[in-house]
Amino acid sequence: MYTRRAFLKSSGLGLLGVGLIGGIPAFVAEAVAREKNNPLYSKRKVIVCIFQRGAMDGLMAVSPFEDAYFREARPNLFLDAAKSAGGGALIDLDGRFGLHPSMKAFESVFRDKRLAIVHGIGSPNTTRSHFDAQDYMESGTPFQKNTTSGWLNRAVGLMGHDHAHTTTPFSAVSLTPALPRSLYGHNEALAISDLKNFKIQGNGAVVKQNAKSFEELYDQTSVDLLRDTGKGSFEAMKLLQRNLVKDYKPANNVVYPTSSLGNSLKQVAQLIKMDVGLEVAFTESNGWDTHYNQGKDTGIFARNVADLTNCIMAFWNDMEAYQDDVLVMTMTEFGRTVHQNGTNGTDHGRASCNFILGNHVDGGKVHGIVDTLAKENLEDGRDLKVTTDFRSVFSEVAEKHLKVKDKKELFPDWNGEGIGVMKG
Amino acid sequence: MVTQGKRIILLFCMLLGLLPVYSQKKAKVFPYKGSGLSKEEAAMHLLSRFTYGYNVKDVQQIQKEGLEKWFFRQLQAKGEDKELEEMLEPYADALLDNRTVVQKYPRGPRVRRMMLDEGYIPQDSVDNKSKFYKAAVKNYMAEKGIHPEQELYRKFIATKVLRAAFSTNQLHEVMTDFWFNHFNVSFTKPQSATFIPSYENHVIRPEALGRFEDLLLATAKSPAMLLYLDNASSKAEQPKAKNKTGINENYARELMELHTLGVDGGYTQKDVSEAARILTGWTNYPMNGYGNTNFIKNIEKSLNNPKNPSVIDGDFIFAASRHDKGKKVVLGRHFENNGYNEGVELISFLASRPQAARFICKKIAVRFVSDDPDSTLVNEMAKTFLESKGDIKKVLTAMVYSPEFWRKDNVYSKVKTPFELAISSVRALDAQVENPNRLVNWVTRMGEKKYYYIAPTGFPDKSSYWINTGALLNRMNFGLSFTSSRASGVDVDLLELTGYREPESPEQALEVYAALLLPSTDIETLKNRLGPLLTAQNLQQKVEKSSGGKMQMMRDMEKEKPNSKQRLNDKKSNNAMLAQVVGLIIGSPEFQRR
Repeated sequence: MYTRRAFLKSSGLGLLGVGLIGGIPAFVAEAVAREKNNPLYSKRKVIVCIFQRGAMDGLMAVSPFEDAYFREARPNLFLDAAKSAGGGALIDLDGRFGLHPSMKAFESVFRDKRLAIVHGIGSPNTTRSHFDAQDYMESGTPFQKNTTSGWLNRAVGLMGHDHAHTTTPFSAVSLTPALPRSLYGHNEALAISDLKNFKIQGNGAVVKQNAKSFEELYDQTSVDLLRDTGKGSFEAMKLLQRNLVKDYKPANNVVYPTSSLGNSLKQVAQLIKMDVGLEVAFTESNGWDTHYNQGKDTGIFARNVADLTNCIMAFWNDMEAYQDDVLVMTMTEFGRTVHQNGTNGTDHGRASCNFILGNHVDGGKVHGIVDTLAKENLEDGRDLKVTTDFRSVFSEVAEKHLKVKDKKELFPDWNGEGIGVMKG
Repeated sequence: MVTQGKRIILLFCMLLGLLPVYSQKKAKVFPYKGSGLSKEEAAMHLLSRFTYGYNVKDVQQIQKEGLEKWFFRQLQAKGEDKELEEMLEPYADALLDNRTVVQKYPRGPRVRRMMLDEGYIPQDSVDNKSKFYKAAVKNYMAEKGIHPEQELYRKFIATKVLRAAFSTNQLHEVMTDFWFNHFNVSFTKPQSATFIPSYENHVIRPEALGRFEDLLLATAKSPAMLLYLDNASSKAEQPKAKNKTGINENYARELMELHTLGVDGGYTQKDVSEAARILTGWTNYPMNGYGNTNFIKNIEKSLNNPKNPSVIDGDFIFAASRHDKGKKVVLGRHFENNGYNEGVELISFLASRPQAARFICKKIAVRFVSDDPDSTLVNEMAKTFLESKGDIKKVLTAMVYSPEFWRKDNVYSKVKTPFELAISSVRALDAQVENPNRLVNWVTRMGEKKYYYIAPTGFPDKSSYWINTGALLNRMNFGLSFTSSRASGVDVDLLELTGYREPESPEQALEVYAALLLPSTDIETLKNRLGPLLTAQNLQQKVEKSSGGKMQMMRDMEKEKPNSKQRLNDKKSNNAMLAQVVGLIIGSPEFQRR
């Protein structure tokens, strides 16, 4: 990895020879040690989580088109898999479920068995409040409001970091203006909406001047926390700015959608390629609360899923050389009512579906259990039943992909099993 | 706009007026000498704990007044705030009561509903992304004189900044902030958001220096809390009911775990469930007028029901019909069926537990003394808490009269939160705040999205939470942009601060401004550290270059009388230099502490 080598050379690591290792940030020391002892740098596994805020209608994204009850429940929203149906037809995945036509970009990875879908996923807590459901999903404790940490932050702490494989300031990054609930906690996590701004700001020569002055001030301070964090900040800043390419060119001539999700994922890709230690990336997609005129093959919902799918696929193709180590997972707080409402939309429901993309995913399948949507099979007589606890999928992914050892700490109060969304 | 300079003069005048009252009772001296603090050091410690920041003038002023006298005056929180009130005028809506807010700043979904109900737009045109729909919403709102809820939240947060920066009653503001965070609610929950401005202004602030129990009860009955922790929808289980609604334990749990006893407070899940049953029926007065007429009618009918009366108290409703009438036991105490009063008793009972006294006092000590306060101190405070039945003034007084408060290693032991950093910069430099929301944006960038902390725990009060690699860089950048009003929304006259004696070199500027911003820091050390860097690298020239002025060298300027254009350029460049030095000080590690 020459990016890392370049970083090592310019980080003034000649220091090592004179035994000053205690004075430099651990993640720098780790990089040095690795360079010396293990030239074959073992790449880190990366998870990219996308939270679809507002509750995605999982039944419209991945429709059980054979189900007569479903067709009946949604006279104005139902899409058919048969081409003859007119308009956009669903993409038939397995004779039972059809992918929304605007999600066509997912078809190839599904057929390649790298994209898995879990249907009927959701929370055991039956709240239909966006706020509460997001809160529970992000903390990972569906019946505890006061959990101080988020599950992704806990994951960072459980990935077996040690002196030889330490965290860096970029271990957990959220491409959002403020830190999301998922990343609250005592492991360091960064919220950055624009990588360009991760530096001392200003114009021209003054920037360097100011950076130097600050570095000097923080280096000399007597407060350990400020001194050590200061060191970390400057190293991280230099590392990032040195490697941040001005006109980033994605691989494979990929063009990212210009949406906010596209922009976030493009920056995640950059961080991964820069090799700055990213392991957990978080970003979000908004606008899923489709109470009104959700549309069929066109309209709000179609636009939303097109953006989601196209952004993920742009990222995935850009990541071609890294696909073995990268996994993308979507999540949403709950699903929507089986029946359309009075305004051609859907209201807050229970289960939805999610997407998991990666080379070690047991893909090409719609996992989970979805009964026919007869009234007696619905939760409270109206909603798709939650048949898979989100923690079962999240923890399986964390365990298999991120090598998280302690499931109990990742999701306290839960001891269920995975459902086999990951291979092996 | 009011500068802090004026603020101090005002304070001083008021003080003269109050002197007779306070001189009658001479307070015992704070025990700071024992730990080797000078009066000046003690003054700074006191200011750093009970204000949002200070400068050298404040330090002198409170020494003159007397530390104790200043503290007791702050505890009374009766200082006149005329100039602040003027500043708050453009944001007056932040002070509206809940019912007016609901009418004037309705939530998005309600606006949509109103438009549909009135046939203002056809149903199939609702699409948040369409231009037509957006324009229709805008027109409709203009016609009705209603405003987007976000506008209210921005106004409200602006008043937070102005109060913190300019209120005479600093301790009151700091305590208001403390209690808000203790009883956290969040703009992230839309149902509760509408009621948050009034929650702070009419629930928290009036009780912030009163009795803990009163404050606890007031929060329990506030729509913001009732909706944030879902008690508003908690009803006795009715097995036969068609809708599967029932008891919601969220509030009852946090009432014990976060608001009173603490997580190790010795209660069980059973206690939580029983407390939730006691609180069934505690809900908010429905204010949006949709489908609630019957509910309100029924409540009104049952107000005088002798057996089972409902209660309406402002925005609070006790709906007797939703109340669980069975017997309950919480922490060994029995509660017989007594409607609304059961909940009041429960709150009073919880507020007076020894565990609660310790839990609350420790939290206060963490905020005002150090991240890891001495247990002797906490015990002393807790004793006062119990003896005084939760009198917050007495607890704070006990704290400052404890030698532990003044221990040397507690001085400067707290890291400023981003909000504290921003406001302390304003106060130290006697700055004006032209655009509070710009300052708020910086606070967010530094990691504190005020009023948006999603969890009921509130922001952690721990240095390590606030100091991380990204946040620290943003603190430095905040410093560097502070003097640019376009970036920070703050207007600061750096020359006024020096009595219009322009510092001639970066070193001199460092000396002048460090004395203002960091009265306690050894300026020689700072100069030794930064001086060589500043001069050796020819800062002056570089600043000139990047500030865009085509500058002549300073030497030349001294030789000949500059023409006005040159003088302007000169001033511009020198200002840039001063701004940079001030930026370095604000971003320095020393200024991150209090």
